[in-house]
Amino acid sequence: MLEQAKKIRQEFKEDLQNIQNKDELYLKYFSKKRGVIPQLFKEIASFDQNKRREAGAVLNKLKTEIETKLKNESEIHIETTTDFTSPSPPPNIGMAHPTIQVAREMNEFFRYYGFSVVEGPEIETAEYNFRKLNLPEDHPATDLQDTLFIKEPDLLLRTHTSSVEARVLSTQKPPIRVVTPGRCYRNETPNASNAAFFWQYQGFVVDEGITIQHLKGTLEEFHKFLFGDDVKLRFRYKYYPEVSPGMGVDMLCKFCRGNGCDPCKHRGWFEILGSGMIHPTILENCGIDPEKYTGFAFGMGLDRLAMQRFGINDIRKLYEGDMIYT
Amino acid sequence: MRIPLEWLREYVDIKKSPKEIADSFTLLGLMLDKIDGEVLSLEHRMDRSDWLSVLGCARDLAAFEKLNLILPPLHTQKGKAPGKNQIVNIDVECPDKVRRFNTRVFRNIKVKPSPDWLKNRLELYGIPAINNIVDITNYVMVELGQPMHAQDLAKMEKQEIVIRNAKKTDAITTLLGENIELDESMFVLTQNDKPTVIGGIVGGESTGINEKTTDIVLDAGNYDQVNIRKTSRKIKIQNESVLRYDKFLHPKLTEIAIQRTAYLILELAGGEYFENIDWYPDKTPLKELTLRKTRLDKIGGMDIKLSTAKEILDSLGYKIRNESSDQISVEIPYFRTDVEVEDDLVADVLRINSYEKVPSKIISGAPPKEISTPIYAFEDKLRNLCVNLGLHEHITIPLVKKKGVSGEVVLENALSSERNALRTTIRETLLPVVSTYKKHKISDIGLFEIGKVYKDNKEENILEIYHKDPKPILSALLREFGIGWKDFNKIGSISLDSITIKTEKLMNSRGVGNRVVTELKNYSTEDFSFVLKQEQQFGDVYYEIKNFHGKIVNVEVLETRELSKNEKSVHVRITYSTSDTSKIREDLLSKLKKVHNVNLR
Repeated sequence: MLEQAKKIRQEFKEDLQNIQNKDELYLKYFSKKRGVIPQLFKEIASFDQNKRREAGAVLNKLKTEIETKLKNESEIHIETTTDFTSPSPPPNIGMAHPTIQVAREMNEFFRYYGFSVVEGPEIETAEYNFRKLNLPEDHPATDLQDTLFIKEPDLLLRTHTSSVEARVLSTQKPPIRVVTPGRCYRNETPNASNAAFFWQYQGFVVDEGITIQHLKGTLEEFHKFLFGDDVKLRFRYKYYPEVSPGMGVDMLCKFCRGNGCDPCKHRGWFEILGSGMIHPTILENCGIDPEKYTGFAFGMGLDRLAMQRFGINDIRKLYEGDMIYT
Repeated sequence: MRIPLEWLREYVDIKKSPKEIADSFTLLGLMLDKIDGEVLSLEHRMDRSDWLSVLGCARDLAAFEKLNLILPPLHTQKGKAPGKNQIVNIDVECPDKVRRFNTRVFRNIKVKPSPDWLKNRLELYGIPAINNIVDITNYVMVELGQPMHAQDLAKMEKQEIVIRNAKKTDAITTLLGENIELDESMFVLTQNDKPTVIGGIVGGESTGINEKTTDIVLDAGNYDQVNIRKTSRKIKIQNESVLRYDKFLHPKLTEIAIQRTAYLILELAGGEYFENIDWYPDKTPLKELTLRKTRLDKIGGMDIKLSTAKEILDSLGYKIRNESSDQISVEIPYFRTDVEVEDDLVADVLRINSYEKVPSKIISGAPPKEISTPIYAFEDKLRNLCVNLGLHEHITIPLVKKKGVSGEVVLENALSSERNALRTTIRETLLPVVSTYKKHKISDIGLFEIGKVYKDNKEENILEIYHKDPKPILSALLREFGIGWKDFNKIGSISLDSITIKTEKLMNSRGVGNRVVTELKNYSTEDFSFVLKQEQQFGDVYYEIKNFHGKIVNVEVLETRELSKNEKSVHVRITYSTSDTSKIREDLLSKLKKVHNVNLR
């Protein structure tokens, strides 16, 4: 038996050197039916007691030895001819829509500052889309956003996410911090930069002691988060009926650093969002005392940011099915 | 608004370069569109009607730069009293559309080309020069923001201007030779019942001024801006006059504009100046507002002295009526029809003081109550799952062509008949994306959209998945949310290449789909081959097995095979968390037989 064990040990050594497949090797030695070692155990079963004990000890030692070596991967070197430099097709990884990716990133920032993410209906009433927002029907600002009506004049597709602001302010008590990403609609003939369907991202805060300084500070931090610490913003007066005072925000053109180039239409700045202190009439319309509480609001298009990030030059590609992911 | 800088400098003596002036305008609220040599194009926002005048823009610039505003000369003396038969009669039959109609008469004037300075300014602005009278009315419109209008008295059949609602039978030919049809919602200026002007929008050719003209009637009207806006849209005319008239102008502006026009006519065309009728039955008062120091601090968050605020308001043309240590009362000037509330005064103070001087602050304090919409976070979780399953997310436009199905949400005023309703399924808008992939030679693709479908003026949140083999996808989703096939029927549906899930229902009926195992149990497995009728749904049987006994931990379908036209076999592997399975097996098989009529093969 000792002789046999020696022979097997030698054979295993050679096998290990020419190994192609670990499982096959394992089966060769340990398969219940035809494995070398179980066969030997079967053989010694007929031995007389003393001889059997002696042979058993030898066999057990051999078994443990081979088992251990087979388990210890690092000692096994499988000869391979794989060329790692030749690319393989990557496994399929799904992708979220560019607009959603941008919205998620923004949510991340605002969640950190304690904002809730609130959604509202797309089929909206004139009450929440216009009237509560200081936009009566004959207001010139309603021209800007030609509305798609389901039933004129009261039932429509929301033209902005400000409708969610009106809903939240009407149902919640301050302090309020909310962001609201969502689909919006306008009665426009689509072109490369304007579409009848688009995404907006709106945010608003109402509390005691909120000032225009908080608006500036929040927007500055937000843009640092999105674009890096060296982002430079310009704050200028801009009129929006939903706010007073209103504030337009521009970002220094990263291509020309303000000197003027084609992408920024030679202005040196990119217009990025509209904002301001929530109009006292809106607070009043929603049952919040504007003498006690003040608030700020801002709104921006998500589409342009998504287009910028993913190198898309036409808003229609984003939603009209002309875009694929590889 | 185009601002020729040479014109602007008549009112504000500013030495800065065009770019620097543009920067100041941008900060105070008139954003630069482009610089065109010595002409600035500023983007106009709708509230400030005075920003459609060079003087109005100059006023804000002067205040911002702390420079003096130089007002243009006016002819403030009254005109001669007209003789009895010299009066041009004014009659307004539609006082709901007209607030004021202010007129004067000039006689023995000399119509000729304008001097070069006037021609140049108008042409730089973008209005061609015609003759001194027409040019002066245009000039005053651009300078002060009040559209003006002159008619040749000799061409008028009757010495009258009657303003009345238009009739369906009325038609007018404009100076551009365009024929325009009118209706009752509009109003016209007429003489001898013939329309000469569509109120506030465009004049006809019949009473126009030319070199032969000697006597004119000049009018400055003030009309209902909503009517002008609606009419101009209806007849599709957008011009310099409409641009100004579709905002709220204060009737007082007509007085200033007439005094300025009179000055220029007498200067450049000579002649005699006569008073005429100023139709203004209901005076529009000038409003007063009070600015409290506390309010200024509350919005601005910084200490701006009341004296600074007063200086700023004064430089913007507000009249200080009253002041105390903690507030100022002002009369809002006639040209600031945008100012409605105290916070608008705050806005004026902060912007002229410059937003650049406002410090930044981070919001502080404990976060308020969480009021996030639950479905938003849930759908985001679903989105992650789908992405993890290798599916690509697309967002498609819910606007589709009307199908005429019941409950469909149809739009009343869609621009395109291809997009005049809202989708009732996501599939209809998602499928075109599949063909885009195919065009790119990618056919092995899984897509999803998380969006809405619309019915009966309500919306429903839906997850729609497109995949050639949707079953494993659905299994993964159901496992994740611990939902059985039986319950799935209530929250969604599956077809050969799609899954539709009502996400709100899924959210509300989801259980715990815990896939984490930490204890090694004495598992054992048994394989079964069941025989079912072809039409029988195995999902029900599966559900029955899975929930039959607490020790049945997994049920796996290994194979489904067709046995004959009527029968199929389903090969199933059941995993138990025990090795003592005989009792469970017996009970299960008898229940399957009894309830589902399913036998072992």
